[in-house]
Amino acid sequence: MVKFTAEELRRIMDYKHNIRNMSVIAHVDHGKSTLTDSLVAAAGIIAQEVAGDVRMTDTRQDEAERGITIKSTGISLYYEMSDESLKSYKGERHGNEYLINLIDSPGHVDFSSEVTAALRITDGALVVVDCIEGVCVQTETVLRQALGERIRPVLTVNKMDRCFLELQVDGEEAYQTFQRVIENANVIMATYEDPLLGDVQVYPEKGTVAFSAGLHGWAFTLTNFAKMYASKFGVDEAKMMERLWGENFFDPATKKWTSKNTGTATCKRGFVQFCYEPIKQIIATCMNDRKDKLWPMLQKLGVVMKSDEKDLMGKPLMKRVMQTWLPASTALLEMMIFHLPSPAKAQKYRVENLYEGPQDDVYASAIRNCDPEGPLMLYVSKMIPASDKGRFFAFGRVFSGKVSTGLKVRIMGPNYVPGEKKDLYVKSVQRTVIWMGKKQETVEDVPCGNTVAMVGLDQFITKNATLTNEKEVDAHPIRAMKFSVSPVVRVAVQCKVASDLPKLVEGLKRLAKSDPMVVCTMEESGEHIVAGAGELHLEICLKDLQDDFMGGAEIIKSDPVVSFRETVLERSCRTVMSKSPNKHNRLYMEARPMEDGLAEAIDDGRIGPRDDPKVRSKILSEEFAWDKDLAKKIWCFGPETTGPNMVVDMCKGVQYLNEIKDSVVAGFQWASKEGALAEENMRGICFEVCDVVLHADAIHRGGGQVIPTARRVIYASQLTAKPRLLEPVYLVEIQAPEQALGGIYSVLNQKRGHVFEEMQRPGTPLYNIKAYLPVIESFGFSSTLRAATSGQAFPQCVFDHWEMMSSDPLESGSQAAQLVADIRKRKGLKEQMTPLSDFEDKL
Amino acid sequence: MLYIIGLGLGDEKDITLRGLECVRKCEKVYMEAYTSLLSFGLASDGISSLEKLYGKTITVADREMVEEKADQILSEARTSDVAFLVVGDAFGATTHSDLVVRAKSLGIEVRVVYNASVMNAVGICGLQLYRYGETVSIPFFTETWKPSSFYEKIQKNRGLGLHTLCLLDIRVKEPSLESLCRGKKEYEPPRFMSINTAIEQLLEVEQMEGQSVYNEDTLCVAFARLGSEDQTIVAGTMKQLRSIDFGPPLHCLVIVGKTHPVEEEMLDFYKSGNENLEQNVVDRTT
Repeated sequence: MVKFTAEELRRIMDYKHNIRNMSVIAHVDHGKSTLTDSLVAAAGIIAQEVAGDVRMTDTRQDEAERGITIKSTGISLYYEMSDESLKSYKGERHGNEYLINLIDSPGHVDFSSEVTAALRITDGALVVVDCIEGVCVQTETVLRQALGERIRPVLTVNKMDRCFLELQVDGEEAYQTFQRVIENANVIMATYEDPLLGDVQVYPEKGTVAFSAGLHGWAFTLTNFAKMYASKFGVDEAKMMERLWGENFFDPATKKWTSKNTGTATCKRGFVQFCYEPIKQIIATCMNDRKDKLWPMLQKLGVVMKSDEKDLMGKPLMKRVMQTWLPASTALLEMMIFHLPSPAKAQKYRVENLYEGPQDDVYASAIRNCDPEGPLMLYVSKMIPASDKGRFFAFGRVFSGKVSTGLKVRIMGPNYVPGEKKDLYVKSVQRTVIWMGKKQETVEDVPCGNTVAMVGLDQFITKNATLTNEKEVDAHPIRAMKFSVSPVVRVAVQCKVASDLPKLVEGLKRLAKSDPMVVCTMEESGEHIVAGAGELHLEICLKDLQDDFMGGAEIIKSDPVVSFRETVLERSCRTVMSKSPNKHNRLYMEARPMEDGLAEAIDDGRIGPRDDPKVRSKILSEEFAWDKDLAKKIWCFGPETTGPNMVVDMCKGVQYLNEIKDSVVAGFQWASKEGALAEENMRGICFEVCDVVLHADAIHRGGGQVIPTARRVIYASQLTAKPRLLEPVYLVEIQAPEQALGGIYSVLNQKRGHVFEEMQRPGTPLYNIKAYLPVIESFGFSSTLRAATSGQAFPQCVFDHWEMMSSDPLESGSQAAQLVADIRKRKGLKEQMTPLSDFEDKL
Repeated sequence: MLYIIGLGLGDEKDITLRGLECVRKCEKVYMEAYTSLLSFGLASDGISSLEKLYGKTITVADREMVEEKADQILSEARTSDVAFLVVGDAFGATTHSDLVVRAKSLGIEVRVVYNASVMNAVGICGLQLYRYGETVSIPFFTETWKPSSFYEKIQKNRGLGLHTLCLLDIRVKEPSLESLCRGKKEYEPPRFMSINTAIEQLLEVEQMEGQSVYNEDTLCVAFARLGSEDQTIVAGTMKQLRSIDFGPPLHCLVIVGKTHPVEEEMLDFYKSGNENLEQNVVDRTT
């Protein structure tokens, strides 16, 4: 039952003040998708009656089976506000019609790359928190990500029905629980506060917190109740709202408000008295089928039931009554419309985070003003597989200008550098589509402030890209997304039937496109490697690969393996030298570990190749105690030009050094990607070019001479600086009742994990345990844990940091040496490491 | 004993008598094939005509062999006589001093047989060899790699009124940049820089640096296939030379400095200053 047509929708897309782009984010299983469904129900895509039972946004079969969301899904919703409810709205608006572009994203940490992609194209977030379980690790992760992207949050305390039906807690206890949940969320928000975004904490009394029961399709904000009571008490709404939260108590016997509990039996907190108790009463009445009492109560509340609904009994009746009285969609949509920013408002402060180029050029100001007449700036955040196998929609957000069917666009890929031709294409958009869950509607064009899906660009976009008009050659791209997880778990795949190889190769290409995080590579040995964020993520990727991208051709996968990093412990014990093949050029280098936190700063993009040199040298000198001049002599970062290793020029008075710089950089990119130990990426190493001797003539110091030499000298300096392996470590959060703790500790011990926090969740019998667990030990961790705790403990693993392995990989027989040998064997390399003498030349 | 024997510039017959004797008594003969090439090297039977004349099997040593596997050649020279043939002269434009240093440090005796090199053969144009400054090479420019250090050297030479010999890039069996970065051995197709490209690049650098060291009207002498039967030598301004097709490689270029009257007289033979320049080139070579 579609209440609106594509034309109607398209019309509202022009009202940039009446659009809300928002994502729904939460910890896994806190009820996002179910809640989203009740919103979708109100916008009319599915009938109201089945809301709560059908997960509209979980379009995939495996999602429905597992009951979790895997891919983020976008839906455009249409909602008309009444004049009455818009009375107090102060912001700019254009009529009463609102367009809400909603993205439901997965809660499981393994899929948080999907969340990142969703956040980029939205301006606001509905944070869903289970009222009993409270703020969990993934809530924190996504909130941090959201605030990093300057996304304004509103909160809903979900699964209220559990309070009434399952736990039957009394009002005051429930209030304390909610209060704690909100406080915890606010602590996180305050931590990541951003001056431009202003106060992002949420307050029930300001209407930025809702209370919902997604499963039953009802929700309320204090605004709802305040409206109801304001006239009754003869005070204004705002005043009433304040009384409904916090230390405000009402005694119906005396009809007086107090700021302390007077201790009489009838004196209760405002929230309990006026919100919680009435709901509790209605639910209880419904559940007990006391219809004789119910109808008069409903009449008083102004709730009108249809005649056939009056025959319902028990739970269905309760559900229906609550949905009619406090429809979830009204409460949530109104909260979003009131408190989340429109694109026009949000882009004013988001432009700095988004646009890489100068903040005063036409593109920046077009984004800032959300100008439909300006040049097109569009960010493609993900690729969505289309129904015809093998093709993809490019899904993204228009930040300025308009994108239309047939428009020629300039596609700037992630490796595009302004002024160069690398990773740049000019192509036509075949079709522009609005994405609505299972349905897609083709539209003529889509103006700025909206999300859009495009057909015909999938050949040219791998995962993301910035699009602009064909002629806009000066435009810089929109900043690439930073993911909070990294693909640290890898498996090798091969096909069962050798003749399926072309299918596998093609399938891997498509898989790489369809998921923002997964990395598909081919090893030297010819093995195909798929890398993902965790066990579950990989499992889903491989399933997609086999079923969707390879037409069901069978594949065999190896046991999962973990990627390591290579680093150094100390400065090279001497300056090492390598000669070029023609022996006329000599490079002298030393390696040293980077300062603590510097590699992380590069990971986070605070320091990188595209920084303003002045800003960079300021950060380096102030936070990492670098010499100011030295900070200006960074040649490059690597691998992939942005990685957490670098080359610094320490030479004095060497002529023609800049002629070989590019060659050294190229050699470094290669070497830092494949370290000397086991050809794993390097991490946290700073290479210092100490001296250079060059042939007098340019021809004899070209790339052919210098690139291999740079690589050799880098390896030599790595090997002389006490090389070490780094292993990835997960942060594991486990929730379990007390009796399961023993089992948890023993499993963690067995798996080299160590607990650093154990806390009882106030008001619950549950314990919250945080521990570090090496990723390599995490395979099968969930099932072992479940077995050891009779299924009472649920772990959530999220990549946390790289931990140095203390054993020396150069000392034969050590644990690290064994690991290196294993990796080399797997990669088809010589099992013995190449000795230092092959890299270093002696005079 | 390691013999390093210059082959001269023209064809197989340019080897000296002493050189020929040495080759004939050597057990193993290597020929270096990347820093230059005999003009006949382009012909498919180039090597075999050498072999016929010398009566020896010749192993072609490419860059990789000379630079990375020189130990093999040296270890053979330890026990037997090995000839290492070099186009031009052993210590001319090429860089085999490293091989000599390594041989000597291994206690291997080295004997060198001299021959003509481009460094002295350019004398034919009449510019006095005494009046040449530092020799420069002009490498192929890429998108990102545009070494322009030769500009500075030309500037110094011209400041002293000296001529500058520009050797033009030869890329034979050069690993491609991409393959270097990936660590695999893949080779680019052989390329030789033409005079036209060299002049384009020279002018590009002049425009970048803007020190007015030379310009389109600077007098130059262009040499093609120096030392062979169909050698071509043309004197003219950069602008004139830029539009002439000099045919197959190798090419080199001299930027003329201050000239002596006798030098000028010689140059006039190669100059024609009018539109029929190209015609004259053909006339002279036929």
